[in-house]
This record gives sequence, C-alpha cells and structure tokens, in this order.
Amino acid sequence: MTGNAEADADAELMLKVAAGDKGAFTALFDRYQASVARFAFRFVGDRAKAEELAQDIFVKVYRNAKSYRPSAKFKTFLFRVATNHCLNEVRRGEYKVPHRTEAKDEESPPREPAAPSASEPDQLVAGKELERAVAVALGEMSDRERAAFTMCRFEGMAYREIAESLSASEAAVKSLIHRATLAVAKRVEELQAGLLPARSGT
Amino acid sequence: MSCANKSRDFEPELTAFVDGELPPADRDALEQHLPSCASCRQTLALLQRTVQGLSALPAFEPSAALRRQVLSKLDAPRSGLAGLWQWLRAPRVLMPSFGLVAAAVVAAVFVTREPALPVDEPDQLELAANMEVVEDYELLGLSDLEDLEVVQNLHELEAHP
Repeated sequence: MTGNAEADADAELMLKVAAGDKGAFTALFDRYQASVARFAFRFVGDRAKAEELAQDIFVKVYRNAKSYRPSAKFKTFLFRVATNHCLNEVRRGEYKVPHRTEAKDEESPPREPAAPSASEPDQLVAGKELERAVAVALGEMSDRERAAFTMCRFEGMAYREIAESLSASEAAVKSLIHRATLAVAKRVEELQAGLLPARSGT
Repeated sequence: MSCANKSRDFEPELTAFVDGELPPADRDALEQHLPSCASCRQTLALLQRTVQGLSALPAFEPSAALRRQVLSKLDAPRSGLAGLWQWLRAPRVLMPSFGLVAAAVVAAVFVTREPALPVDEPDQLELAANMEVVEDYELLGLSDLEDLEVVQNLHELEAHP
C-alpha cells in the first residue's frame, strides 16, 4: 500500500472510530502500537513506563476521535497526541526518571542485540555502545529536541510532519533535529575516545 | 572547529542535508561550500555515520499485554476531572440536573422580583405579611380571605369546646 493510500485508509478508519467502531480502532492500534511505544520508550527510556504512556495515548486517541479531521494525516494527529501526552506527563513529574535504556540495564539485555559491523570501518560504535551514547544524549536534550529527534530517527517522519505534530515551523524542527543529532554524534565520539563515564556495575 | 564561511554559517544545515530535507538552492550552496571547509566536512562525516548507526539499532517492541490493556480501558470510566465531566454529561445525570438548575433559576427570579411587587393595597400588605401562611393554605385549596380567617381561628374553637 502506498503512503497516500495508507493515509487515506487511516483517515477512513479514524472516522469509523469517531462513529464508535471499535474494530476500526483495533486496526489502527495494531498498525501503530509499535511506533507509539517506540516513541514513548525513547522519551522516557524505560520499558514499563513507555507502555503505560502508550496505553494512555491510545485511549486518548479513542476518546478524542471526534476531534480528528481527515484533512490532517492520521499519523500526524497520533504523534501530536503522543507528543503532548509525553510532554505533559514529563512536566508533571510523573515520568521524571534518569534516562536509561536496556543497553544500560545489565539484568535485562536487549531482545535483539545488534552486533558491531566489522565490514564498515567508518562505523564508530554500534549495538549496545551506540545505544548507550544515544541514551546519555537523549537524557540531556530538551523535551522538544527529544520528541523531534525520535520522530525523525526512529519513525522516519519528514520534517514537515514533525512540524505539524509539534505545532512548530519546519525551520524550528530543522534546528531541533540538528542540535539533537549533533549531540548524539558528539556522545558517540566521546564514547569512542573513552570520555563517557564508565557504565555502572561494570 | 567551526564553519569557515564568514558570510554564512553552513553547519546548522548539515543534518537537514544528510536527511535530504534541504531545499535545492540551499543544497547546491552547501555542496559548493564543502570542498573549501574542513570543519563542515568533518561534521558532515560524523553526522552521516551517526545517522547510519542509529538506523541499525534494534527497535523497541511493546509487550503483548499492551493490546489487551488498551482494549480493556476503552470503556472504563475516566478518572479525575475528565471523569467528573463525563459523569456530568451522562443523560441520567444531565437531564435531572438541568431540571434542578431550571427550577433554581425560576426561584431566583421569583425571589429577586418579590420586593418589586406593588404592596400599597391593605389586602396585599396583609398577604405579604402572611406569605408563609398563605402558601400553606394554598395547599388546602383555600383562597378566600374569610375562609382563611376561619382556618386561622380554628385553634380558639379547639380551646373552647
């Protein structure tokens, strides 16, 4: 299915959700649950909290379905709800936790550890080490930088879509993504140079 | 190190360049600038490696419980102010509440207008002075002043059988 056709199908499903069709909601949930959970996970850096946030976000989408207008792409609407919810919860202090990822958690290793690529000499770090650099950088970013970076790098959203989700200009999004990506890149450099603090418990 | 171009700093454009998000004119200008700026070339290489590495990171996958938990919450009552608002909007609450509010408004209008009633006639003055009694007697279906006087003096008859 092409992007536009998929967007149209999403819009049709969402209109059915607004009319009370739970089956349509389930179809949208199945299509986007991984994206929303990934976004929340990068936002708070904790698996359990990310799933709590994802739950709340989807329930909000269901209850606010009547406010959806098909002129907006469903994914943009969904990530606007997701961003606002995550920002509000973090600002309320509900999820003010040290940013931490599975790569830092010695007791629960990642499900699919990525092996460093020996075939790419330019690759600075990979797998757990890169995950660690990302976690440190994400924890130091502003909330909006983290939201923009996550939508861009892990969801592959275009700057225009991210701008709509954040209610910001494309120029502002370009700046947010540049600062965030550069911050991660510098953490990767530091990691390679041995400047990042040693991992706890190692 | 920083961008060597004194008239325009190209460094903030580099990530958008990597992402293919620069407008053609800006992309062309940056491509012309790069051969002369070691700083931008170095930063660009770092950004490209980082973006490439990020795309290879394992994706977070939600647990199977997420679906069940979300679907079970769809019809659950809301909590907090949103829940209170939802409860207030329910027809079983809204309609009686509307009736009560309407009654309160009518009563308020009646009470606020009471001092404006014309009370210059003696009969009306007496009625106004005994409004509570009159209201009780209205329940009995009595409206004539003579009947009201009889009812008012019933206790004297009881005291003298």
